[in-house]
Amino acid sequence: MSDAHDHGLPPKSSVSRWFLTTNHKDIGVLYLITALFFLVFGGLLALLFRLELITPGADLLGSLGYNQAVSTHGLLMVFWFISPFAFGFANYVVPLQIGADDLAFPRLNALSYWLYLFSGVLMGVSFFQGTTFAGGWTMYAPLNTPAYIPGEGLGATSVVLALIMFTAAVTLGSVNFLTTMYRMRAEGLRMRDIPIFSLSINLTVWMMLFAFAALLAALMILASDHILGTTYFQFANDGSTLATDADNPGASLLWAHLFWFFGHPEVYIVFFPALGVMAECFQTFTGRRLVGRKWFIISMVLVAIQSFVVWMHHMFLTGINLPIKTIFMATTIGISLPFDLMVFSLIYTMAKGRVRFTTPFLFSLGALILFIVGGITGVFLGAIVLDYQFRGTYWVVAHFHYVMVSGATALFGGLYYWYPKITGKMYDETLGKIHFAVYFVGFNLLYFPMFVAWETPRRVFEYSRDLQIWHSMATVGGFILGASMLIMFYNLFVSLWRGEDAGDNPWDYATTAEWAVSSPPPLENFPGVPTYADGSLSFMDDAEVARRTSGSGGSGVAADGGTAADGGTASVTTAATATPASPAHETAGEEHASHASFWPFLVSLGGFVAFLGLSGVRTGSVVYVSMAAVGGLATFGALFGMTREPFHAPEMPIAERWPFDSVEKMKLGMWTFLASDIVLFGAFIGSYAFVRVAYGWSEWHHDLIPAEHVTMPGLINTYLLLTSSFLVVLAMVAAERESKKGTTAALAGTFALGVGFLVNKGLEWQHLFHIHTEMFPNGWNLSTNIASSTFYLTTGLHGAHVTIGLVICAYMTYRAWNGAYQGDDRAIEYFGLYWHFVDIVWLFLFPLFYIL
Amino acid sequence: MDWKGYTVIYVVLFVFATAQAVVEFAGLVDSAYWVAFGVIMVLSVVKAVGVAAYYQHLRWEPRSVTYLVLGGTVAALALTAAAAYSIV
Ligand code: HEM
Ligand SMILES: [Cu+2]
Repeated sequence: MSDAHDHGLPPKSSVSRWFLTTNHKDIGVLYLITALFFLVFGGLLALLFRLELITPGADLLGSLGYNQAVSTHGLLMVFWFISPFAFGFANYVVPLQIGADDLAFPRLNALSYWLYLFSGVLMGVSFFQGTTFAGGWTMYAPLNTPAYIPGEGLGATSVVLALIMFTAAVTLGSVNFLTTMYRMRAEGLRMRDIPIFSLSINLTVWMMLFAFAALLAALMILASDHILGTTYFQFANDGSTLATDADNPGASLLWAHLFWFFGHPEVYIVFFPALGVMAECFQTFTGRRLVGRKWFIISMVLVAIQSFVVWMHHMFLTGINLPIKTIFMATTIGISLPFDLMVFSLIYTMAKGRVRFTTPFLFSLGALILFIVGGITGVFLGAIVLDYQFRGTYWVVAHFHYVMVSGATALFGGLYYWYPKITGKMYDETLGKIHFAVYFVGFNLLYFPMFVAWETPRRVFEYSRDLQIWHSMATVGGFILGASMLIMFYNLFVSLWRGEDAGDNPWDYATTAEWAVSSPPPLENFPGVPTYADGSLSFMDDAEVARRTSGSGGSGVAADGGTAADGGTASVTTAATATPASPAHETAGEEHASHASFWPFLVSLGGFVAFLGLSGVRTGSVVYVSMAAVGGLATFGALFGMTREPFHAPEMPIAERWPFDSVEKMKLGMWTFLASDIVLFGAFIGSYAFVRVAYGWSEWHHDLIPAEHVTMPGLINTYLLLTSSFLVVLAMVAAERESKKGTTAALAGTFALGVGFLVNKGLEWQHLFHIHTEMFPNGWNLSTNIASSTFYLTTGLHGAHVTIGLVICAYMTYRAWNGAYQGDDRAIEYFGLYWHFVDIVWLFLFPLFYIL
Repeated sequence: MDWKGYTVIYVVLFVFATAQAVVEFAGLVDSAYWVAFGVIMVLSVVKAVGVAAYYQHLRWEPRSVTYLVLGGTVAALALTAAAAYSIV
């Protein structure tokens, strides 16, 4: 491939390429390799505690060591292995399957990856800060708070911060994938027509967008309990008495609600991509279209929606009331029905087709069998009375490993399936089959005995001597499973050199678009703009595209093509830039598509240093404090560099965009992000409502809030924000009219009002911190009680949003002063979307925290 | 929308915010808490819808963008309502 073609991207053999690349295929490969690393990390921990469990008692790791190993194993596998592994495929395959040349925001995609990597590094570092988190992967309160964590607890704080970083990566990724899938499908490709794997990813990212926002809320609150000293998840506040919950009765249930509101969708987030791989492999290796494809899709959509209303089946043994348990038992049983349909669809596809037992198919079939066992045992748990018995036992452990690791099984199938596409080489089929055989035996030997020994209490290293034989079997199974993975690593590694050339499509009957291009595909994927307009895949050349887009306008280049550098500010290119001499696919504006940026790496590195510093600031140590400061500055600087960097990611000139036809990609990205922000704030406000209900809604105000906390500062701030919102729309009007003065003045006014808001808030807080009343002799600060915690943290999060908005606003004012935005107000509009949202949030915070 | 339209919206928002405070200053929060609660929350919702529809231009976007926003809102409300109900 020529230099001109690679757009400044070094060759794959060069190390620097992998730090610079923003190309979806490179990033897919990075995800796959990194995720496999975390699989080994989490797997070794598991082997350690399986060794521990050969006999009862903690004679190998010690009790705290055991708890750490179990907790971090769960976190690593659920967060750092399985979803990122699936998103390696998603990155690589989805753009190819839908006919896009990359994701909508390539640099954000790289940023997601680096944030993910560094969050994992932070997780690793936590092991060296005394002890890491030891309270179980579900991180139940109050064991997740410093008062209940042995030692200084800095490692635990790092884990919480690592999860926050991971969640940031996921949120950016969701926004990116949704924008891509709704703005960049090849012409003629309706949503329902996209290949089933891409469809499964689409639903996965929808769930991620909302579920991870709730997790983010939970984690931010927890981090604040750790670092700032709020008391959401603590029972007692004075540090002397721990056992009473009188002053914050909602503490432990609040965590459970937030966590499981995320947690149940999460299990489908883990499983859906695997389901997509299974469906894809079943189709290819039976040579048949999925039987009842339409119903399969409808079922997936139903499950994705329903997944948000079953979470309390994880809370049957808590103090929630019986009516709500019953409702959630019903929804849980309801959600298993669409799953049955999908399972039958896969089975019929197999029955009707002619099966070829290749390695990917074997893994898919194995995954299906394991999933059926896991699903059936899950239905047991969904029944309240049965769960009273099973909760907290190895039945649960066996159940979720059968379902989750079934998902991993399918994904290993996916690795074999797409390996020839990614590398251009064929793996060794015999070794692949041997891997499957050993894997399947090891898996069942590991997890099936857990059903038999279900009376073993979960997360505890002591168990009854009668059960020892089963645990010994499980340990042996664990080592067999681990060994089987070595076969895969060996096979895939050696085949890079010794494998036969795979050709474009090594699998007969594979029909999705990734198989229509070479292996590996060229940097920009397709030899032209893909279209399905006449029923099958073909490519339009420059002349064709120019002809199609020049006349009608409509959704063509002239209207909204080639607009925004991702994350940056809009700039318009026109169709006229296409030159007949350029290669066929280098159509309008695409000529300058960029593929390299170093900033995403730097932003993430800065974030890593900042978070590591934050984990220890409460000790006051100079090292930690300066790391936090330096890291924060570096992150900010790198973000600024990224904004200034010219980076071009053109929109497709012709594409299928239902149902967001007229929503330009930056705007859609912004709205998608705001939707997740709604859930974040919603979860904060919901937490406030929950702890207040738990305390007693009416007593709250009287018992916990000083009379000095008055309405006036809130009302003034409401006026300030409303006025600033008004000025933003005026800035838009001025920019449309090409009034440079007007635009600059309105933006400067917005900035001034926002600063006024923060100053007013600062004064108010200062006052409240230092009141001396009979009820609050030491002031009313973050740690005083649960009401002060909710007040400062929720309005503080809002204040942080205002601050970020002000930074952007200052930058835009400066640019407007220099003549930007005249005649093109889109950048102001997108900033406005954010700013108005922050305004809207305040419209609810004001009455809830100042009046009611 | 031109600046006149935006100004009308601004005035309405301003008046509603003031009305919320008046409800409190008039003592309604103390005398009839849940009535005051209802009035104030409804005012907030109306203001929010106004900002979203006009300042954020949802009125002029395809309906699908509104559904996206509603999706997030419903999720947050479901969490809040069900969690609160589970302990009463
Ligand atoms: C097919 C229908 C399913 C039903 C009815 C179901 C039901 C349940 C129930 C009721 C529990 C709570 C058990 C307890 O803690 O007492 C549970 C736990 C769990 N399930 Fe499922 N499940 C299903 C599918 C899945 C799937 C597909 C996955 C993941 C791929 C999964 C992953 C988990 C996990 C990780 C836990 C344990 C959470 C913990 O650590 O406490 N489940 N399941
Ligand atoms: Cu669940």
